[in-house]
Amino acid sequence: MNVIMQRTGLMTCNTAVLLCSFLSATVTHASSIEEGEKLYRQCAGCHQIGAGASNAFGPQLNGVMERVAAKVPGFDYSDAYTDAMAPDVKWNASSLSAFLETPLTNIPGTKMAFPGVKDQESRESIIAYLAAVNSDGNINRPENTKSVDSSKELTEKLPRVLAADVVVPEHGVLHLGRSALAEEVAAWDIDVRPDGKGLPIGSGSVIAGGEIYDAQCTACHGDFGEGTGRWPVLAGGQDTLTDDRPEKTIGSYWPYLSTVYDYVRRAMPFGNARSLSDDDVFAITAYLLYLNDLVEEDFVLTSDNFSEIRLPNENNFIADNRAEEPNFSVAVEPCMSDCIADAAVVSQRARVLDVTPEEQK
Amino acid sequence: MTDSKNQSATDRTRIDTEGRRSAIKSALALVGGGALAVSTNGRANTATPDPLITEVQDWNRYLGDGVDARPYGMPSQFETDAVRRDVAWLTADAKSSINFTPLHRLEGVITPNGLCFERHHGGVAEIDPTKHRLMINGLVNTPLVFTLDDLKRFPRENKVYFLECAANSGMEWRGSQLNGCQFTHGMIHNVMYTGVPLKYLLAEAGVKTSGKWVLPEGGDASHMTRSIPLEKCLDDCLVATHMNGEALRPEQGYPMRLVVPGWEGNMWIKWLRRIEIGDKPWHQREETSKYTDLLEDGLARRFTWAMDVKSVITNPSPQAPINHGKGQTVLSGLAWSGQGKIKHVDVSIDGGRNWKPARLDGPSWSRSVHRFYYDFNWDGKEMFLQSRAVDESGFVQPTKDALRAARGVNSIYHNNSIQTWHIKPDGTAENVEIS
Repeated sequence: MNVIMQRTGLMTCNTAVLLCSFLSATVTHASSIEEGEKLYRQCAGCHQIGAGASNAFGPQLNGVMERVAAKVPGFDYSDAYTDAMAPDVKWNASSLSAFLETPLTNIPGTKMAFPGVKDQESRESIIAYLAAVNSDGNINRPENTKSVDSSKELTEKLPRVLAADVVVPEHGVLHLGRSALAEEVAAWDIDVRPDGKGLPIGSGSVIAGGEIYDAQCTACHGDFGEGTGRWPVLAGGQDTLTDDRPEKTIGSYWPYLSTVYDYVRRAMPFGNARSLSDDDVFAITAYLLYLNDLVEEDFVLTSDNFSEIRLPNENNFIADNRAEEPNFSVAVEPCMSDCIADAAVVSQRARVLDVTPEEQK
Repeated sequence: MTDSKNQSATDRTRIDTEGRRSAIKSALALVGGGALAVSTNGRANTATPDPLITEVQDWNRYLGDGVDARPYGMPSQFETDAVRRDVAWLTADAKSSINFTPLHRLEGVITPNGLCFERHHGGVAEIDPTKHRLMINGLVNTPLVFTLDDLKRFPRENKVYFLECAANSGMEWRGSQLNGCQFTHGMIHNVMYTGVPLKYLLAEAGVKTSGKWVLPEGGDASHMTRSIPLEKCLDDCLVATHMNGEALRPEQGYPMRLVVPGWEGNMWIKWLRRIEIGDKPWHQREETSKYTDLLEDGLARRFTWAMDVKSVITNPSPQAPINHGKGQTVLSGLAWSGQGKIKHVDVSIDGGRNWKPARLDGPSWSRSVHRFYYDFNWDGKEMFLQSRAVDESGFVQPTKDALRAARGVNSIYHNNSIQTWHIKPDGTAENVEIS
C-alpha cells in the first residue's frame, strides 16, 4: 500500500465494499444530495456528470464511487494519480473527503489543479451527490426529495396588506422600487476603472500570486499563462498583433490593468466566482504582470501603485471609424447588371476544411 | 419597397409560373409515353396509385392524444433537425460557449423561443424570480432596488428586434469554413420583447448631470458587464421580462434582460441585476480583450457597437439543398441592419455578375430582421447564389474582398460581407468563395 492510500485511508476493492454499502445507507439525505449537486458546479468546469457525460478536462464522474479509480476509458490520467490508485482502488467517502480537502498535497503531481473544498460539510454533500449518481448518469434520489416550491410557500404565509395602508416612497416619478442600502451597493458594486475608481484598498505580491495561480488557474490557463486546449492564453504574444495569427494576451493586447483586476474578481476562477479575497486578486494580478515580463519577481502590487502600471498596448486602440471605410460610404446605387466581367470561379470551398459538425440523425 | 419593384416582382412571378406550366406539360407527356420522370414532389411518376391516398392510414382511423397530453406544446416529432446546434471545436467548454439558430428551418421573421441561439459565459443561471433584485447605483440621486413585481408596475412596450452576436460569421474571415447558414449566420434571433424602457427606471433613481455612461451587470457566474453611453439607454433600450409573449427563457436571461436595439448581442446583458451610472466607460473585459476589432496594422477599434447591414440566403443553402430538380423554385432569406429598416435586397444567381430585386415580405420594422423571397424558374444549371442588402441609411452590404481590404482577416467581429452558396446541378449547396 502506497503513501497516499495510507494517508487517505484508501482501500482496495475487496475491503471497500462494506464501507460503501454502509455509506449509501447513511449519506443519502435528500438535502445533502441537493446541496452537493449545487456545490458540484465548482467541479463541473472540468468534470462532466449526468446522462451522456464524457471526459473533458477531467474524467466524467458517473458512478465514480462505484467504479475502480483511474480506469475511465479514454482519459489520460497523470502518472501520479494512476500510481496512487494502483492496482485497483475504489474511492470511499472518507478517502475521497481527504483527497478533496487538498488534492494537490494528497496526490502531488495530479492534474487536478483544484485548491480543494475546505469545509467538511460541503465535501460530504458533494460526495453524497457523487454517490447518488450511477454509472448511467442518473441520480438516485430518496423518496422524500419532492422539491419545495419556496416562492409559493412564502406567498401563502404573507398576510395580505390593505392597499390603502401601503406607504408609497417619495423618490422618482412613479415612486417605484426602494432605496438601496449602502451595504447592498457595496456588496454588488465591484467594478474597477482604469483610473482606479472602484479599486479596493489592499495589496498582493508576485510570490503570493504564483501560489494562488498554481492552485486555482493552471488547469485552464497553463503553468505560464500559455493556455491549455482552447482556454484563454494570458501571457506572451508581444509584437504579434500584425502577424498572420496574432496572440492577444494581457501583455500583448489588453489596454488596462484594471480590467484584469476587475475580471478576475467578478468571474474567476471559472466555476467558483467571487471566492477570492481582494488581496488574492491583487496577488494574481501581480503574478499575471510577472508572467508577461512587466514586473520583477519581488514586485508587490498595491492599491497605491496600481494606477502607475501601464500595459504596453494601451495606445493602440482607436474609436469606431467604420463609416470612413470605402465599403461603408457608398452613396450611389449598387450595380445591378454586368457588374463583373468573367464568369464566377470557385476559389475556396468549405468542404475542403471539413470542420462542419455532422448532421444528427 | 417601391411600387415599381413590387410590380416587377409580380411580373416575374407570372412569367415563371407560365414557364412552370410548360415544364409540367412536358413531364406529363413523358409519363404518358410510359417513361419514368422525377416530378417536383420527389416521387417517381408512375401509373401506380399512391398508397398514402388510396389506403386509410393509422392517423386517419385511430384517435390521437387528447388535450393536455403536452401541457407545454412541442414541435412535431418529425421536426427533429430544427434544433440549435453548436460547433464543439470553437470553444473550450460548453458553459462558456455558443450555439446556432437553425435559420434554414425557419420562416417569417420571428424566431421561436426554443430556437434562439445561446451564448453564455458562465452557464445558464437558474434564478427564482422572487429572489432576483435589480439595483441602480452610481451617479444617481437615489440608489434603488427593484423586484420583478416592481418592474411590472412600470409602463411597458412591445418591440421586435434582432439580436446578433458581434462574432456572427466570425469564422469566415479567412475564407469559407462552415457548411451551412446555421453555422455561418446563426448567431442571430429576432424576438418580440415586452419590457420597460430603461429611461423610466433611470428616472426613478434620478441620473445626475455628471452621468454619461451606464454599466449593466448580469447576475450569472460571469457577472457580465458592458459600458453603454447614457444617450443610447435613454433612446431605445428596454429591460425586458418577456419574449414572444411568454416569460424570458432561462438561457435568454430570465427573469430580466437588457435590450440594446441594433447593437452587439454581448451588450444585451442577461439575468440583469445591476445598472450603474458613471462619468466614464469602465473598459471591461468584454470591451477590451474581447469585442474589439483588430485591424491589419495592429490597431484595434473599440466600442464598435452597431451591427451593420447584412443578409443571407437561408434556402437553398448547404443544409437545405434543392430536392425537386429544375423548375419553379423559391429562394428565401433574411436581411437586417442595426441602423434601421432594410430598404431593399438584391439577389444574384451568377455570383454577383447580375442582380435582381428580391421581394420583401412580412413586417418591416427598424432593427428587426426582414424576410425576402426570389421566386424563379431554375434551369437546373450550376448557380452561385448571393444576396445583398441595403438599409434605409444607405449602407450597402459589402463583398468579402472589400471588407478584407479594409480590415484584414483578424477582426473576428462585425463580418457582414456577402455570402456565396454554390448550387450544383444535383441541387446540393456548398459554402464557397468565388473570384
